[in-house]
Amino acid sequence: MIERIAAFGRLGLDTVSSFGRSGRFLAGVLGGVPRPATGFPLLMKQLYAVGVLSLPIIVVSGLFIGMVLALQGYTILSDYGSEAAIGQMIALTLVRELGPVVTALLFAGRAGSALTAEIGLMKATEQLSSMEMMGVDPLRRVVAPRLWAGFIAMPVLAAIFSVIGIWGGMLVGVDWLGVFEGSFWGNMQSSVDFVDDVLNGMVKSVVFGFVCTWIAVYQGYDCVPTSAGISSATTKTVVYSSLAVLGLDFVLTAVMFGDF
Amino acid sequence: MDSSAYISLEDVVFSRSGRRIFDGVSLEIPRGKITAIMGPSGTGKTTLLRLIGGQLRPDSGRVVVDGHEVPKLRRKALYAFREKMGMLFQSGALFTDLSVFENVAFPLRVHTRLPEDMIRDIVLMKLEAVGLRGARHLMPSELSGGMTRRVALARSIALDPELILYDEPFAGQDPIAMGVLVKLIRDLNSSMGLTSVLVSHDVPESLSICHYACIIADGRVIGEGSPEQLREHPSGQVQQFLQGQPDGPVPFHYPAEGAARDFGLSGGVS
Repeated sequence: MIERIAAFGRLGLDTVSSFGRSGRFLAGVLGGVPRPATGFPLLMKQLYAVGVLSLPIIVVSGLFIGMVLALQGYTILSDYGSEAAIGQMIALTLVRELGPVVTALLFAGRAGSALTAEIGLMKATEQLSSMEMMGVDPLRRVVAPRLWAGFIAMPVLAAIFSVIGIWGGMLVGVDWLGVFEGSFWGNMQSSVDFVDDVLNGMVKSVVFGFVCTWIAVYQGYDCVPTSAGISSATTKTVVYSSLAVLGLDFVLTAVMFGDF
Repeated sequence: MDSSAYISLEDVVFSRSGRRIFDGVSLEIPRGKITAIMGPSGTGKTTLLRLIGGQLRPDSGRVVVDGHEVPKLRRKALYAFREKMGMLFQSGALFTDLSVFENVAFPLRVHTRLPEDMIRDIVLMKLEAVGLRGARHLMPSELSGGMTRRVALARSIALDPELILYDEPFAGQDPIAMGVLVKLIRDLNSSMGLTSVLVSHDVPESLSICHYACIIADGRVIGEGSPEQLREHPSGQVQQFLQGQPDGPVPFHYPAEGAARDFGLSGGVS
């Protein structure tokens, strides 16, 4: 019994110390002024790796989710004779919820795991240590560009996801199921508010992008430098990021839309 | 030994994961010489290099390098201090996304504002010194283990450091690659006037090039001196290590309960 309590206490202490380490890590990464001459090319390279290379999965997923939303929405709304409202239903669902959340989940799986594995492998092969011994801070040189790239790429990817989703919804709703195109776009325009919906959705994706990338780079940097350690860190990145995104989504939704 | 010590460790105590790695190690490493630090695997030889480089901090004791007390340096000063220092890692630790040329150019690009043509000349000179000028376009994945270490060596001398730390440079090398590395370490030390610290358990190679050597075991220095002095050292443990004897003060058998009891014999086996 005492051992179980001790193990529980140890788990609590480990968790708190891990939060502390990740906070110090973040301060180390974001502290100091980056030199544009060296920082900009590194950032561009990471934006390509994290952002551009995530585009295929985001575009394809966005397209299918938009198409499924249109099909489901049409089935439900046509019972009430209000199938013309699928435009606003698809747009609101995507812009407020599915765009930021699904993009963040896909981002954690595609880019987050890659970031963790890359940094973890750099640690295991002593590349980070060798950088330190050359007088170069790996937090600034390796981690900071990746963190900023994730931070910038995620809202853009979420916006692309929503746009492609709406287009996919139109393909199914208008071109296949025959909803009047004027009602589809007109209802959407009249019901989607820029500040309440679009901007709030963007805020969500900014928060998710920051959290997912922070978890990914921290797990890579803090991993046990063995193949099992990297594998475990990569799994943790995907699990923690997904849970953090879903939990934060509830909190942010409650703050943004819970004012009844 | 030379009175002007470049590195001095005074009563260094260091523990990790509850295990005492160094228990009051004191050591002086002379300036401009090759010093070999030898010892069995797992005695903390690499840890010693990391203490010298400031990547680890001792629990107590002083680590002084060229007049700087390394554990007390602040982050910025520590990074500036490391620019005077090169380290050859056991794995080479080349950046896998950069070519051989860019790996060697990396410290120059980060720490200097030299024009591109001058960086090119310096990189080619360093690669020439390790015999790999012709391999500058290759990627690290295309290099053999020996070539990887030579490129890493070229990179570690790119900024003309005062001190080079070699972490197991001969481990896992074929005889030719080992001969090349022995020659390079010796030549670099004499031509550049470097202070070299060589961590290894390859006894013949290390003793053939070092001016001074020390053997660490069980968290302390068990023998030190010139290679000749070490070969004559009275300690049985030192002699067992130098001659590679399987049994001696360091027993062949891991401590275990009586064999008779383990094998279920009533007597006759001790």
